[in-house]
Amino acid sequence: MEDLIGSFEKKDNVSLGKMLKEVENQTPLSLEILKLSSFRKGKAHIIGVTGPPGSGKSTLVGKMCKKLATMDLRIGVVCVDPTSPFTKGALLGDRIRMQELAKLPNVFIKSLATRGNLGGLASSTADIVQVLDAYEMDVILIETVGVGQIEFDVLGVADTVLLVSVPGLGDTLQTLKAGIMEIADIYVINQADRPGADESVKDLNLMVKESGKREWSPPIHKTVATQDSGIDELIHDITAHKKYLERSGLWKEKRQTRNVTRLYSMIESLLAQRVEDHINREESLKAKVQDVMKGERDPYTTSHEIVDRLIAKHNSYQYGG
Amino acid sequence: MQIKVVMAKLGLDIHWRGALVVSRMLRDEGMEVVYLGNQFPEQIVDAAIQEGADVIGLSTLGGNHLTLGPKVVQIAKEKGVDALVIMGGVIPEDDIPLLKEAGISEVFGPETRIESIASFIRSEVNQSIA
Amino acid sequence: MANNTTNQEKKLFDHEVVQEIEAQKKRWQENTLKGKDGEGQYYSDSGIPINLLYTPDDIKDVDYLKDIGFSGEAPYVRGVYPNMYRGRLFTVRQIAGFGTPEDTNERFKFLLKNGATGTSVVLDLPTIRGYDSDDPEAEGHVGAAGVAIDSIEDIEALYDGIPIEEVSSNIVTHLPSTTVVVMAMFAAHAEKKGIPLEKLSGTNQNDFLMETAIGSSLEVLPPKASFRLQCDAIEYASKNMPRWNPVSYNGYNLREAGTTAVQEVACAIANAIGTSEELIRRGNKIDDFAKRLSFFWNLFNDFFEEIAKCRASRLVWHEVMKDRFNAQHPKSHLMRFHVQTAGITLTKVEPLNNIARSAIQGLAAVLGGAQSLHVDSYDEAYSAPTEESALISIRTQQIIQAETNVVNTVDPLAGSYFVEKLTQDMAQRIRDYIAEIESKGGLVAAVESGWLHREISDFAYQMQKDIEDGKHKIVGLNYFPTEQSQTKVEVFRYPETAESRQKEKLEKLRKKRDKEKVERALAVLRQKCHEDVNLMPYIKEAVLEYATLGEIEEVFREEFGLWQFPLA
Ligand SMILES: Nc1nc2c(ncn2[C@@H]2O[C@H](COP(=O)(O)OP(=O)(O)O)[C@@H](O)[C@H]2O)c(=O)[nH]1
Ligand SMILES: [Mg+2]
Repeated sequence: MEDLIGSFEKKDNVSLGKMLKEVENQTPLSLEILKLSSFRKGKAHIIGVTGPPGSGKSTLVGKMCKKLATMDLRIGVVCVDPTSPFTKGALLGDRIRMQELAKLPNVFIKSLATRGNLGGLASSTADIVQVLDAYEMDVILIETVGVGQIEFDVLGVADTVLLVSVPGLGDTLQTLKAGIMEIADIYVINQADRPGADESVKDLNLMVKESGKREWSPPIHKTVATQDSGIDELIHDITAHKKYLERSGLWKEKRQTRNVTRLYSMIESLLAQRVEDHINREESLKAKVQDVMKGERDPYTTSHEIVDRLIAKHNSYQYGG
Repeated sequence: MQIKVVMAKLGLDIHWRGALVVSRMLRDEGMEVVYLGNQFPEQIVDAAIQEGADVIGLSTLGGNHLTLGPKVVQIAKEKGVDALVIMGGVIPEDDIPLLKEAGISEVFGPETRIESIASFIRSEVNQSIA
Repeated sequence: MANNTTNQEKKLFDHEVVQEIEAQKKRWQENTLKGKDGEGQYYSDSGIPINLLYTPDDIKDVDYLKDIGFSGEAPYVRGVYPNMYRGRLFTVRQIAGFGTPEDTNERFKFLLKNGATGTSVVLDLPTIRGYDSDDPEAEGHVGAAGVAIDSIEDIEALYDGIPIEEVSSNIVTHLPSTTVVVMAMFAAHAEKKGIPLEKLSGTNQNDFLMETAIGSSLEVLPPKASFRLQCDAIEYASKNMPRWNPVSYNGYNLREAGTTAVQEVACAIANAIGTSEELIRRGNKIDDFAKRLSFFWNLFNDFFEEIAKCRASRLVWHEVMKDRFNAQHPKSHLMRFHVQTAGITLTKVEPLNNIARSAIQGLAAVLGGAQSLHVDSYDEAYSAPTEESALISIRTQQIIQAETNVVNTVDPLAGSYFVEKLTQDMAQRIRDYIAEIESKGGLVAAVESGWLHREISDFAYQMQKDIEDGKHKIVGLNYFPTEQSQTKVEVFRYPETAESRQKEKLEKLRKKRDKEKVERALAVLRQKCHEDVNLMPYIKEAVLEYATLGEIEEVFREEFGLWQFPLA
């Protein structure tokens, strides 16, 4: 414990790496780490980068980091790749696009596998980000899996969301049309060296307009990540978005919402765990579950019975009756 | 527990085939493999630190194994990383004892079955946890 | 390709005869064979279905004069020279390269004395990757897997006492960026010695795929830039060094990295097509340079497929040059290639078995009509060859040349129903794959997008799986696995002092040269990088002022930028 507190003060990469490993694997120690980091977090600007695979997210993140690193900022990067549902293994290949960062002391990269989580992030992502934040990273970039669909998990974690796509939008356009305009704070048409970039920008522009007037109107950027082009402008707007968040009070609001969401999700998972334990301990409840399984009882009545029973038991225990 | 491997081509070495094929097959064996491409010892160790790697896999064909391999182990020690360091590639038999002495846990020739690399990793990693 | 031509006379076999054979074949299958044609399906290594028995009906559409022809004539299926090996035996090439140029120079002399008919040198990794021996990135690699070249002085030392106007010099430069520098050094060295450039014969490898699709590195030039340098070297040689092969389209390393024989040839030809289009855009005529384009194949153990590949590649090349580019000069139509036996097929277990593998592969090369040959040494799975193992490789080639009599007649397998059918099949698959590459926007685009990397990676992955599952058999490994624990092989040791000796020379050089002149030459080169001109003359100027390879390539890196290739 002492060691851990010490390492938050020292901020050396080796201890950070060890802590993140605990958190990633959700070990018993990770709870302590999260408790500690909970009060230290809140300063980092958390940027989510989402978009279809191959659109250039990793390359773009790499170039943004390189630029941010020259601005004397401490940067954390979290890259998420899919876990194979068959083998439970994963090939995490985003770092290969970020080789230029390897020699920069102020960049820390962590690759995560989804381990079965479906919303585009690993279930430990928020925790990992929290620890990085507590380690006084100024900026934290999260690259989502990019399985082709818009990934909503990132909305709950990031302050600023970038949606990266390529000329000839295709799929992205379809999802956007489905009315999910709100997802992105900044749109990026990467690979603008390929034909059709200007048309894509035009199309996007139209959609942003159609989606009605908002306080923050999402800018649209053209980039060629491989050639380092358009990165400065992109970073400029990311900074502008941060300022907007602060000005509008959203910065604080998002953090407060996240805290509460976190609380409720913790409660939920704790409750779920308790209920499960409770069922496993009581033969009569187990039997009921069996009946539901066979279709002899309905899950609606039974769920109420089980939860009521748990609470009743809890009360009687509390009040000695 | 999930085993995490950081896999790198050592230094200037060319030919990515071996390291990538091994990476893909270790994934098939249920491991999480962070593929780094070509890196030098210092950066490989840094990546292992950041990723919380249980294993550092080094691949080499370029005849740099005796200079750069031990360097990885040495830097890892200096920085306090306790990952298992293994090596694969075309490595003369006589050099294997030297590499092991320098702290490389195992050396796998080009004809090793990936299965046996995986089971070596599993038994070593589980031992060090126990 | 032979197809619906109505003129039956031109077919190999009379229509009625074919019909009779087909009928008899049915009968034979039913009465004699009775379905006992083996378990499951048989395929060649690149996936072509293989029949139990081939008969004339399998090649009934072949028009001999049009599709096969005579040696030294279109479509060159039977070989590029009329008298083939009777006129000129294939060149025995053994690669050498380790330590300092002085060390390799000694090995050259040893090999030439023992019957090698040309020199062939590999460079160490720092040189290939464009770093000087004193660059921090080079540490541990100097002189290790090849010879270190830093400046024109090293080229002088490398070829000291070797009559480069007489014996041909193969320089395995791999990447275009290395090629342009080393080739400039070689040319400048010859001129300094008073040897006219027209007299130089030899080959550079020079393939942008090596830089961008096969090799890996922290830093490579983008495909377009690498391709441009590749073309610069070719254009320069076609104008100034008429006997020099400025490119050897490297199917070899593609194959080692992970492709089929079909992909190997198709990629190389697609690269040559791209080159031709670019040089024509620059105002060259196809016949000015096409005859200098050469190829480099890798021969695996699938004996007949490899022979068919050699024949089919000449056929497709002829079509490309004649039909697509309308080349007029016969020399533009013929494909010359070098063969190296497949290093990747050699095993570490029971290494002496590799002598048998290499001999079989080498024989296939000769039956396929190769112009020059390198037989891998049996210890290559361990280290660079020792003097002893290199000698066995030379001897293997000499045995093929002098004892087997296979060189006495041209293309001896022609007319085999099987080989002719396989040749036609290979050719069609090569054409199809070239078309697929072109549907991706051509080879440069196929590399930029990562398509080619995925093809290679998927193949390599599948191959490893097949080996582990025993589907792909390797003797001593998964087929009759060895019982020997370890064979003792005497490994070749790189001279350990190479790095320090090389650094010492470099330090002296940096002191004694005229710094200002070096800088001026590099500044000019830097500027020319952004113009639509050939860079070779400017590189030559720089090497003459003793600019180092690392310095010149740094200019490329700065001006063209770096590219990370789309892996994983
Ligand atoms: N032509 C072009 N290619 C790019 C650009 N950005 C990335 N790429 C390439 O696109 C491929 C996929 O990039 P990557 O960053 O891995 O995409 P991700 O899957 O979204 O993370 C790689 O080959 C990159 O080199 C760009 O701006 N232009
Ligand atoms: Mg990515």
